[in-house]
Amino acid sequence: MISAHAKDSIERIVFKAAKSRLTMDAGDVCEIVPAGAHGAHSLPDANLVVLTISGIAFRLLLIVHFDEDERTHQYFVKEESERAFLEVFLEICNLCCGAVNQELLNYFPDLGMSTPYVLSARCMPYLEALKPEFLASYAVTINNAIGLGATVCVCAHAPIDFVADVSAVEDTSGELELF
Amino acid sequence: MIQQYLLGALAGGVVTALVALAAHRLASARAMRRLRSEAERQVHTLTQAGDAQSELIGLHEQQTQALEASIAQLRTELTQQSASADEVRAELKAALEGKDQLAHKATQLAAEAARLKGLAGTFERWHEQMISLMTQNQDMHAKNRELSSIVRHVVIVSLNASIEAARAGTAGRGFAVVASEVRALAARSEELSKSYRDSLHRNDLTTTATFQDIQAGGKMITASLSSVESLANQFQSTLH
Repeated sequence: MISAHAKDSIERIVFKAAKSRLTMDAGDVCEIVPAGAHGAHSLPDANLVVLTISGIAFRLLLIVHFDEDERTHQYFVKEESERAFLEVFLEICNLCCGAVNQELLNYFPDLGMSTPYVLSARCMPYLEALKPEFLASYAVTINNAIGLGATVCVCAHAPIDFVADVSAVEDTSGELELF
Repeated sequence: MIQQYLLGALAGGVVTALVALAAHRLASARAMRRLRSEAERQVHTLTQAGDAQSELIGLHEQQTQALEASIAQLRTELTQQSASADEVRAELKAALEGKDQLAHKATQLAAEAARLKGLAGTFERWHEQMISLMTQNQDMHAKNRELSSIVRHVVIVSLNASIEAARAGTAGRGFAVVASEVRALAARSEELSKSYRDSLHRNDLTTTATFQDIQAGGKMITASLSSVESLANQFQSTLH
């Protein structure tokens, strides 16, 4: 029920959101490749941050995989900050999912987003129980050092077909207009 | 002699009288003619004036008739106009009543949407219950970990018992059977504990996914109701 165009559009929307929101500085490099692809790191297997975007025709679960290791901790929590890692990371995931939600609102007028919740990565195999029509995992690498993972799980209750145009805004933002 | 004089005087007098009479008649005839001519002229003038008056009267009568006709026409038109004005007034009244009803409905709609936004509280309550359920799940995870730890300990104990039974030789044969049975039970308990752990993980995921769907759906409904309320308010303000 989810067309190839729609799957591709969802993927591009998630990629754009991850690249703009999971990085702490604008200059940071964020690479996203399908999990299991050549050169992809294995997904972190400790914890998951789960967020849901619900619409009338579908629900989309955005799952961010993370290990609370030293490098990840240092990247996301600034030295001077006294905030806990999980608090900061949940806020970042919330912003990332918010960006996906914002983009999807251009095509689906009625959407709502949940608050984030942390689960064990051992829950991953049971995503199939939700009978998703689109399930894809990606290895996310920030600055060739921080290894995260992202999984998109979409359960549809009606046919979904749309083509998202996400590149134009991204490419021109911040550029001078010389005319 | 005197008689002659008298007769002469008398005759003179008669002659004078006759002459005077004649002169008087002549003068009278002239005066009469003059007067008649004057009268005829005046009669002519009067006749002309009378004709002019008659023409004027005829003209006035025509004008009067034309005016009466136009008055009648105006009266008819006035009647028609007042009838259509009554119709328009009735239509306007009906339209105003309709507008009032619409404004009332818009107010009701906005109030209903505002009231239903209270459902957000219900969704939040469900979300809080999810947190409570997940806390219970975490508690069960902890108990299962404890159970798993106990089972692992039992396995070690049963292994030790088997070793001790072997050392005891034939005297320990019965004890070896018991130790083996305990180890088998421990293995089954371990399997059960793993299965229970997997069920809890599955439960975690489905519970989280379901309640997040409820929470997100609730926000979607609240946002939609807000836009309905806003539209109803806009509609209401355009009616007033």
